[in-house]
Amino acid sequence: MAVASDMKTGERKGILIAPLRFKDQRFTRADLVFTGVDHSGGSYEVVVFLNNTGATDTTAHDIEQGYGGRFVIFGHGGCFGDAGHCDVPPARPSDDLRPPHQLTPTTTIVTITAALRHVLATNADGLTTVTLVPVAITPRRRDRAITPDLFRFDDVSLRTYLFGTDSDLPAANKN
Amino acid sequence: MSAAQLTSFRQAVTASMGVSDNRGYSAWAGIHGLPGQFCQHGTPLFLPWHRAYLYLFEKSLQDLVDGVTLPWWDWTSADSHAEGIPTSYTAATADNPLQSGSVAISASDIEQLEESAPGVMSDGDNPTTVRDPGPPTDLPQASTIDSILDAPTFADFTTRLENVHNDVHGWVGGSMSIIPIAAYDPVFWAHHAMIDRLWYLWQMRQPNVLPPAAMLNAALAPFPLTVSQTLDISQLGYEYAVAAIN
Repeated sequence: MAVASDMKTGERKGILIAPLRFKDQRFTRADLVFTGVDHSGGSYEVVVFLNNTGATDTTAHDIEQGYGGRFVIFGHGGCFGDAGHCDVPPARPSDDLRPPHQLTPTTTIVTITAALRHVLATNADGLTTVTLVPVAITPRRRDRAITPDLFRFDDVSLRTYLFGTDSDLPAANKN
Repeated sequence: MSAAQLTSFRQAVTASMGVSDNRGYSAWAGIHGLPGQFCQHGTPLFLPWHRAYLYLFEKSLQDLVDGVTLPWWDWTSADSHAEGIPTSYTAATADNPLQSGSVAISASDIEQLEESAPGVMSDGDNPTTVRDPGPPTDLPQASTIDSILDAPTFADFTTRLENVHNDVHGWVGGSMSIIPIAAYDPVFWAHHAMIDRLWYLWQMRQPNVLPPAAMLNAALAPFPLTVSQTLDISQLGYEYAVAAIN
């Protein structure tokens, strides 16, 4: 598991490089799982590249470039209340029946099955890095660009499945 | 959607936009973002909350035009991948209320949005919604949706579908690109009807897979419905075609 504080930003401010090592070929589905993802500000997308530490927002979305997929956050757009209105409170006790704060950081996934298979087939070291390119989804298309500090999250990890769906089960295991 | 259905829907939206109290279009749009800010995103309530929202908004339209229904925008269709937003929503005619909506929020909120999100609405004292769509071929692919419809659990399905939902909001751009005023754009409802339809299609494929039991009795504020009351659309009195009819 890679956590946000471990990641390198280098000279390309805003682009994150997460060290993630994986070589096991046995999976039917692979997801990158992002936890603690902030959605309080503007909207943004995060484009994922495997084993391509030079990727940017202009890199082709091509499996040969390590493109794994992308996710989009539909942003709350900032705080329109008084002071404290958008502060997420700590976990509430069980007898506090109010629902979780709307801006509680979320979990999202990017399914990278095909891209991971390609990386494992073409790299002896397997998966070594995941590059995350955050781009602001601004109202005006011409304003969209890599934006540092928009993408805040706790960690990213790789989750693989031996069976993705029932259709992947061997015939003997089906009902 | 037939010509008669489109005419009826436009009549209903026009009438709703003319109602200035809490039964009207602006009041409904303001539940999602500003000023109400009740919407659920990035939580397990995303699908049930928006189903309740669509259901009650449609009921409000039916109070104005008997039998009117909300159309869905199938952004995976060949037409959408050729033309983008349906022409019924873009036609620049005086009698088409689906082009844009008035952004009925406070002056201070307008000022804050203009500062933080330039281009999110038209300029002037009475702003309206705007769009800045991307290339039609960038809209979600049918193959992506087919894969998501195979999701084995509610959590997997809603997480992946919400990502596609977010992507379409960003693709439309303009007012649809951020939560505070997205619902003031009439295309918001067609987009969310598509999301609701996909949830229905997934439910048809996975009839025995329910949301987690712990959330079934959760209230969907500010609506008088719980999660479990949204699960069966036949109980809500509506249905979706399984295949699109152009």
